[in-house]
Amino acid sequence: MTAPDDTGDIRQVAEDALAWVDTRRAGFALGEDALAVDGEVDSSWKPLGELAQVCATVAHHTASFDPLHARARALLDFAWQETDGGELLRRLQRLEPFATYPLEVYAALASAGFRHPAFEEAAAVVARTRGWRLTEQDPTRRLGVLRAEERCGIHRPGQAPHMLTRTWLGGLSEPWTFERDAGYALTHVVFHLTDWGRDADGLPPDLVTYLADWLPPWLDTCLEAGMWDLSGELLAVAAIVARRTGDPVPRDAWRTIRAARRPSGEVPLQDRDPAPADPVDAEVPDDGRYFLHHYHSTLMAAFAAVLTSARPAGPPAGTGARHRHGGQGAPA
Amino acid sequence: MRSDETVTQELTGIQSTDIEAALDPVEADGVYRDSRQCAALALFTGAGKLLLSPPTPRPKKG
Amino acid sequence: MEQSGTSTLLQGAVQDLASGVVSALRGGDHTRSVLPAGTDGEAGDLALAAVRVLGSDALLPALLLRTPPDPAEVAVFRKAVEAYPPRADAAPTVRWSHWGMARTLRRVDPSVTAGPPDEPGTGWLDEAGWQTLTHQLAVLAPLALPGEDCAVSRLAGCHPVDVARGFVRAVRRRDWRQAAGAGRWLTLLPAVPDTVGLASGLDFVELMGGQDPLVALHVQAARLMRSGARV
Repeated sequence: MTAPDDTGDIRQVAEDALAWVDTRRAGFALGEDALAVDGEVDSSWKPLGELAQVCATVAHHTASFDPLHARARALLDFAWQETDGGELLRRLQRLEPFATYPLEVYAALASAGFRHPAFEEAAAVVARTRGWRLTEQDPTRRLGVLRAEERCGIHRPGQAPHMLTRTWLGGLSEPWTFERDAGYALTHVVFHLTDWGRDADGLPPDLVTYLADWLPPWLDTCLEAGMWDLSGELLAVAAIVARRTGDPVPRDAWRTIRAARRPSGEVPLQDRDPAPADPVDAEVPDDGRYFLHHYHSTLMAAFAAVLTSARPAGPPAGTGARHRHGGQGAPA
Repeated sequence: MRSDETVTQELTGIQSTDIEAALDPVEADGVYRDSRQCAALALFTGAGKLLLSPPTPRPKKG
Repeated sequence: MEQSGTSTLLQGAVQDLASGVVSALRGGDHTRSVLPAGTDGEAGDLALAAVRVLGSDALLPALLLRTPPDPAEVAVFRKAVEAYPPRADAAPTVRWSHWGMARTLRRVDPSVTAGPPDEPGTGWLDEAGWQTLTHQLAVLAPLALPGEDCAVSRLAGCHPVDVARGFVRAVRRRDWRQAAGAGRWLTLLPAVPDTVGLASGLDFVELMGGQDPLVALHVQAARLMRSGARV
């Protein structure tokens, strides 16, 4: 077992990332069209939900006296205020009762302790319909909705395992069939199964072994391809898996991510993304575009860095699931 | 230098360095191109993209 | 990397030779000579160099199909072994390739009475990561033969997951030669995770890269070894 000592440089990634996020609160603000019929949910509710989800995890894994904890809580307060204490989510639920995204955003905030009873009551009524339960979504997304339902007190025992076997990860796909979309699907399956890294025991043992075996080549190739966003998600998965296996921190990968950051701590989606605005350059992207090309990967870097640096010392939970190939000696 | 090697070089230009280079190649550069999704045929696709999942913006080419 | 004219010429000759080996492996046709009968003249010199580059695999049909090779082929093979010994400062893969040829020559040519050559050693891989390890093993894929022990194969045997990871990486990078070479090693290693899906992986590598005879050669060798071929 490698204790999470000497992960200060990795933790710094989270500190810098959330500091950048804090300066970009306006990018996460819902705006006037949050409830509009033609509002762009992918650039309004989605970033806000992701901010809440990551900050909930950061707050969970840091002590109350930790400045990082304080920043995450402050950002969560901001996110909750943006929803008007959940009231905008309740109104959104009335406007689009069969949409799953209000529930998913609400669940992210609820995981940080914010509740709006009227929203939950309304969600429960809709969730009792066959139509809601049979909403056609890909299995990975469906797992996320099931996790969100759980958070809101809607329980469907036995559904998640059935859904899991239909995912790329749960079906133990040949690891060399990995591509970008499979990567994003598998990271989210892990996030849903482990409640965004809070409960590493949510991963079945066969998935722990599978992920421990194959994360290194996936991470290696995503980093080589400059896919910083997906690399961050894979590093988060690696940190979750390491809680079960005790595998060492992939320091080379973290060095690459650190080097990919912009001067203010933000991480581009990929290495082809535009550099920060320079007043002398007429071709610079506008501020909104820059935000969209950085906010998600920056949040994921913070998420992964906190999961990595907050790893508990001592023997991993579920010892024995791994190390059948231990001690091969080839560095990661 | 060995005499038969000299003869080989004179006739074909093949040198030991060519052979050794072929036997000790550097790793090829990685080539990356991920599969894309085309919307289902004959299906109107409006909104409904992923939430809390892959980011939506795509970078410009080049 | 820019190649010299002679280097391109040599690569072409190696590919032609590999194509012949693949045909023999596929058809089980061990009566047809793969190696050039004579090595006199310019074309013969090029062919001899190609045999040296293809290494022990130049006689792979004889090794895997367990049939005695044509004496004329053995003579050419022996000439290549003797004409191109590694220089003192040669890279480890060059030295190991030559060692593998010498081992094969001893197996197929009863007239060779010299003792087995000393193994070159594996120290250059002591600190290698799984990526470099797999690349170097793939370059040395001709040493991946069932029942044939050497320091390189013992090293590979200690790293089944590392080589499997290297296979996954090579496929993702579309480096089909490396993937084929790694896949060939994986057929011999113990404790390779089942989830790697090697059988379909070899099919995929052949589909994507099989137009390169060197890829086809390693895939076909791997298939034969999976089906139980012994040297």
